[in-house]
Amino acid sequence: MTATVVEASPCRAGAIAQAYELARRSTVNMWRQPQAWAPGLFFPLMLTAVYAAQFAKAIHQPGFPPVDSYLDFVLPASVLQAVAFGATGGAAELAKDIENGFFDRLVTSPVSRVSILVGRIAGSAIFAGFQAGLIMVLLIAFGVTIKGGVASAAVIMITAVLLALGIGGLGLVLALRSGSQEIVQSTFPVLFVLLFVSGTFWPTSLMKGWYGNVARHNPITWIIEPLRELVIEGWSWGSAGRALGITFGLAVFTTSLAFATMRARLRRL
Amino acid sequence: MSNAPIEARGLVRSFGDVKAVEGVDLTVAEGEVFGFLGPNGAGKSTTVRMLVTLLRPTAGTARVAGFDVVRDAHQVRRAIGVALQDAAIDPLMTGNELVRLQAVLHGIPRRVAEARGAELLERVGLTGAADRRVGTYSGGMRRRLDLALALVHEPKVLFLDEPTTGLDPTSRVSLWEEVRRLNTELGTTVFLTTQYLEEADELAHRIAIIDGGRIVREGIPAELKASVGAPTLKVDVALASVDAARSVLAQFGAERPARAGRIAIGLPEGAAQMPAVVRALDDAGVRVSHLELDSPSLDDVFADATGRRLEGADE
Repeated sequence: MTATVVEASPCRAGAIAQAYELARRSTVNMWRQPQAWAPGLFFPLMLTAVYAAQFAKAIHQPGFPPVDSYLDFVLPASVLQAVAFGATGGAAELAKDIENGFFDRLVTSPVSRVSILVGRIAGSAIFAGFQAGLIMVLLIAFGVTIKGGVASAAVIMITAVLLALGIGGLGLVLALRSGSQEIVQSTFPVLFVLLFVSGTFWPTSLMKGWYGNVARHNPITWIIEPLRELVIEGWSWGSAGRALGITFGLAVFTTSLAFATMRARLRRL
Repeated sequence: MSNAPIEARGLVRSFGDVKAVEGVDLTVAEGEVFGFLGPNGAGKSTTVRMLVTLLRPTAGTARVAGFDVVRDAHQVRRAIGVALQDAAIDPLMTGNELVRLQAVLHGIPRRVAEARGAELLERVGLTGAADRRVGTYSGGMRRRLDLALALVHEPKVLFLDEPTTGLDPTSRVSLWEEVRRLNTELGTTVFLTTQYLEEADELAHRIAIIDGGRIVREGIPAELKASVGAPTLKVDVALASVDAARSVLAQFGAERPARAGRIAIGLPEGAAQMPAVVRALDDAGVRVSHLELDSPSLDDVFADATGRRLEGADE
């Protein structure tokens, strides 16, 4: 039979242009909903201020790492906490697209399926970078010194972005499987517990009993401690490699899972 | 299969044990506005979702723009424009941003997309609102934007799934005009699902009526209506007189489905029989509160095919 060939476009702009435009949408939409991200940014800053006042003298007790102020100790934690709380935002937006039918609009167009997720992931990465940068600038303005210099600040920022992708990737899996914003947002309490039962706000060397054991085996601690070393001790390839390696592995694992879930979802239709 | 822009044979879709579509066969000719009419849950949207590659058929085959909807899904997507139910439009984006995004999704370069977007927004009367967020648009404006988005790559086949559901009468008529213009000026083939009889009657060159997942009638609206035969006499009477009225009216024609409190019959000789009907009702002491004689409508066609009136059609 003769096919009625209808050319959809005068040229193939390709998957990159599509991913760029979808990432742009993701970022602009996030910016247009300050109510969605401002609390996630404000809460860690407030907690940092409260803990800094509370633990101002605690830093002098034996066993506490040598720091000028508690803010030096807590900077990586504040950055990762803000990023972790905002990390599922992109996944919740994807679930909203599925709920309201926008995802169907994307899927009935000849868009590259990879671009749909890459657009979301890139949007989350840009936003995480913005959050990490803003918190570091604010804490530096309040007197924090990153002893490892610009290279360490860059590692903290990249680690934050990778952590956002790692957590966000799991959120994307949930969004694609359930198509429900509520289910994606239900991950928040789990993140909250993971962050608080870790070495985020207190050295694990000073923790005792089951709490100390759990904190020492918590992956969040494995990421925060090397970053903290970069802030309070100075540059170290080993510390940078540990933080980047763990978050890179997590990001690769969860985003691969998200792509596999996307393929499975489209096959299920 | 033929060269028709849309063709389905034995299309079936099941969800678990439930068969939403049970063997749909249809052919839509080039340049035709094809109305797919049926009540809620009849299988209209499921059929459309299979034709636009959003759902895989459980059985059967379908070709759109010459391509198989399963094997050549990507080519089908390049060839069609789709405006699905509920106008799924991101409320945080502006009209301009959405048109540009849709254009890029179809592989149109940004520079071309800007010009085409402006032209399309003007066409659907949204130039003034192009830089406003869609969240501030009325229902009619959203539908018109949805239509513009579906047209951004100049598709030859356009799927409109209940495009006017929830719209006020003015917005509905304005959308009808736009669909008509598209069809006559650009020759776009339109597959339109609707639950509104008037919409199908106004727009469609040919219609298919679907009920319970099966096509129960298909043809040109005028021929379908003529096939029903006699005009319908609708008589409203007090509840106490329903039985008496029914026995009087039965002398004149066969009863047809009607809403509660109303009796409808087919009146073979139409207006010529009206005086006799009125006299007979009067002689039987039946007090009539409302009486009307309607030419056969698509609702009669639906009733003839299914034994039921289409939801809301009699209101």
